[in-house]
Amino acid sequence: MRSTGDPGAERDRMLKERLAELVSESCDGEITTAEALEATVPLSYLGVTSLAQMRLIDALEREYGVEIDLGGDVSFLDSVDGLAAWVSAAR
Amino acid sequence: MISFAGTRSGRAPLTWGQRAIWDAIRRTAPDDRYFNFGRVLEVPRGARPASAAYVSRGIGLLVERHEALRTLVGPGACQDLRDRGVLPVRIAAGADPDLVLAELSATAFDYADEWPLRVGLVTGGGPLHEDEVTHVVLVFCHMAADGLGAEQVVRDLRLFLLRGGLPGDPPPQPLDLARWQESAAGRRQAAAAATHWEREYRRIPATMFDLPSGAAERPPVRRAALSSPAIDLAAQRLAVRHGTSTSTVLLTAVSALVAEVTGHETVAVLPIVSNRFGRDTRTAVTTLSQEGLFVLGTGGSSGGPVRTRPGAGFADLLAAARAAVLRAYRSGYHDPGDRERIVAETSRERGVPIHPYCCFNDMRFTERATDHDDELIRRAPSETSLTWPLSQDELNCRFCVHVSDATRVSVTADTRWLSKADIERYLLGLERLLVEAALR
Repeated sequence: MRSTGDPGAERDRMLKERLAELVSESCDGEITTAEALEATVPLSYLGVTSLAQMRLIDALEREYGVEIDLGGDVSFLDSVDGLAAWVSAAR
Repeated sequence: MISFAGTRSGRAPLTWGQRAIWDAIRRTAPDDRYFNFGRVLEVPRGARPASAAYVSRGIGLLVERHEALRTLVGPGACQDLRDRGVLPVRIAAGADPDLVLAELSATAFDYADEWPLRVGLVTGGGPLHEDEVTHVVLVFCHMAADGLGAEQVVRDLRLFLLRGGLPGDPPPQPLDLARWQESAAGRRQAAAAATHWEREYRRIPATMFDLPSGAAERPPVRRAALSSPAIDLAAQRLAVRHGTSTSTVLLTAVSALVAEVTGHETVAVLPIVSNRFGRDTRTAVTTLSQEGLFVLGTGGSSGGPVRTRPGAGFADLLAAARAAVLRAYRSGYHDPGDRERIVAETSRERGVPIHPYCCFNDMRFTERATDHDDELIRRAPSETSLTWPLSQDELNCRFCVHVSDATRVSVTADTRWLSKADIERYLLGLERLLVEAALR
């Protein structure tokens, strides 16, 4: 069941799908959107290198108009859930 | 000779990347040929036979398309884009392309008066293939391109040779980049990067190699190059095991060993950062790469001996390096003017010049990591060899690590600060550290 009819959940699902796409683009398709969404280990173990993380950060900043502070904990970069929570809090 | 006529000319301040390499060139002169680099493109099978005239037309189109290739250094160190001109071509019949490359790279560019691209066409030689080009040799002035920028030129040329044209709009040009860097968005990027440099420059050791070696060579700058399949295999395994890249593994190992050699627990290394993380700049032909600032604390909280012993310590360092690498990458895209100010201010405050003089350049375009079995890694060091391919008087650094391919790591160092024997020990120590960490 992907659609719950709950607009909040639907928004959340769309955000995660878009983030997974950005993850996939950042690593030149090394992992697919579906793999990023379903990952059970940190994305860095699946081939999202530091270079891909930098591309992802650039893409997130442009798309969501946010600024990412790399001085703190950056573990949110390692999962789509983490990214979604971070983007939702930062917007 | 290749005549070209582009669509515009103009002057602008140097971009951050141009300014950074310009400063390095001036500090290294008269040995600034050090920064020349080139590529050899074998004419692809599908484009043969290619005449010198056809290949020259392609190169002319590239110079028209990529403004960096017709930009000189103008008065007061500005970028001086010219719209038209004539590019010399060296035709070398039946020559070894690598020798042509060496010949065209041998002298420094005349930055104000010479086009920043030197071209050699190797032809087949003999009566039948007199005019057939087999290899194109391109030597770049580092003011025009960095490794990834040059790669784009080579890709475009290959595409032209195969298809006779170049699709799509050109990527952003150095003039456009200079304008963006002066905009509000550019200044925001610069400010974020400057914050990192400033914070770290207040706490890092003044410089990494601060004790005279007592064993200066003449000339003092030497390079040792290690050919080591073991480093490659071990770095790959560590990258897979710890969910990171071989580049981060190597940077971390280099830092750990600098800590051990120098006794500094906090290590500052300047990795060369591509600064091509945005979609728009990925294919730009210009020098975007600049030094970033990577800072790694290698000491235990008790202030005990540095944890460079292989094993658990290295895993901890890799974990700490994860965020430090991202900060370093982001600090790469900075305004050298800001950095100059920060160096002056922090040096004044601390009463000593602050500069790590310790850099790391991973020049690979791609990397991959798969795991390998113990026995392969254990046996690999027997294939290691070391050569001394370079010596010169001037260098704008004391200690430079280059990764030119996965099995080839070199150290170029000023022997006034690190002796020849210690350079060799360092490289072999790097291999040992990685192999031992991988085998634990």
